[in-house]
Amino acid sequence: MAKTISDKIDDLKTGVEWFYSDDFKLEDASAKYKAMTELAKEIEKDLAELKNEISVIDKDFSK
Amino acid sequence: MENNPQQVYTVSDFQAVCNQILETAFTGVVIEGEVASFKINQGKYVFFDLKDEQTSVGCFMMAFALRFPIEDGMRVRVRAVPKLTNWGKFSLTIQAIVPAGEGSIKKSLELLKKKLTAEGLFDVAKKRPLPDKITAIGVISSTQAAGYADFCKILNERWGGLKVLTAHCQVQGMVAADQIIRALNYFNEHGKVDVIAVIRGGGSADDLAVFNDEALVRAIAASKIPVVTGIGHEVDESLCDLAADVVASTPSNVAQILTRDRREVAKNIRDDVKRINNLLKDKIDEITEMNRTELKRVLQEIVRKIDVVCADVASQRKILEQLNPECVLERGYALVRGDLAVGNDVDIVLSKKEVKVKVIAVKERKNGKNN
Repeated sequence: MAKTISDKIDDLKTGVEWFYSDDFKLEDASAKYKAMTELAKEIEKDLAELKNEISVIDKDFSK
Repeated sequence: MENNPQQVYTVSDFQAVCNQILETAFTGVVIEGEVASFKINQGKYVFFDLKDEQTSVGCFMMAFALRFPIEDGMRVRVRAVPKLTNWGKFSLTIQAIVPAGEGSIKKSLELLKKKLTAEGLFDVAKKRPLPDKITAIGVISSTQAAGYADFCKILNERWGGLKVLTAHCQVQGMVAADQIIRALNYFNEHGKVDVIAVIRGGGSADDLAVFNDEALVRAIAASKIPVVTGIGHEVDESLCDLAADVVASTPSNVAQILTRDRREVAKNIRDDVKRINNLLKDKIDEITEMNRTELKRVLQEIVRKIDVVCADVASQRKILEQLNPECVLERGYALVRGDLAVGNDVDIVLSKKEVKVKVIAVKERKNGKNN
């Protein structure tokens, strides 16, 4: 199942936190940074394209 | 009289025909007037007179249909069916009644607010926070209202990917409260939304009076799904606002409360990436500096150890120098070579000279000292 934009934002947040955590390793940092940059670009693209689905319920509330 | 072809009614039939004509002619007629002689009998039946400067009409209604506190002297608007009673009295059977005019609306609102506050309907402790992740919003509004258009505009500008289900209702007038209640019930029964937004743009006190309807206020308070209201402008406060979980100042503000701003999110994301980029640079600088410091420390240690070795070598050299026989001769001692027996020739080496001498006497020394 494709990830939602919120999932991606959560992933980015987790990714950013890694840089501040004790798990940080310089040898892995470059690859992680590249992945985060790509993810950020993807989120920005998704954000620009997101549309709401607005519909009116087919029901007469006057009755 | 007998030859007259005109229809003859019984009194009851005549009354029934009159009522039929009245009902047909005045289906849901709306009348505005002042309340007088208001009373509730047996907690069920409401009687009052509706009057103006010249005329007064008796009114009857069931107590459960009373949605606003009413008092004598209040100006009200009623939706009613005119009726001729069995006693030949003309009266109005009230279907709905709302306060009319700023003073009456305010008075009614104060009375109802006091009553519902005492019941704990507006307790802050009962307010629920909105869900963290909202994917579906139930909107109750008139789709023709400017407030609804503002809400949709701001919602679309700020965020996307949301499912918005709109229950189109009247948001002013005597039938509005029941429609909004039905919409609230619909969302609560179907449970497809995370939050319900009740929206209405600005208007006069009369226009917004529906949001002080007791049954509607109770329905909002009882909603299983959290309710956010955006009714009127910032200065307007309705009882529905007090009963809601979250109150927005306007319909646009509802959209702001329910969504994040995609521009702000994008900016935060860029900032995050920039921040980790800086962090990475800082980490590299930190490690480089650490390495430099360590190298410097190692170098200093090497220099210190060389100094120690050099000092040791110098010290050993000094000792060696002192042990050198030439040095001893320099200090004034002499080296004797040969057999030290009387009459023998021996060589004496001094620092600057060598002397050949004959032994003329030999005597023992005791404890290294002269006897």
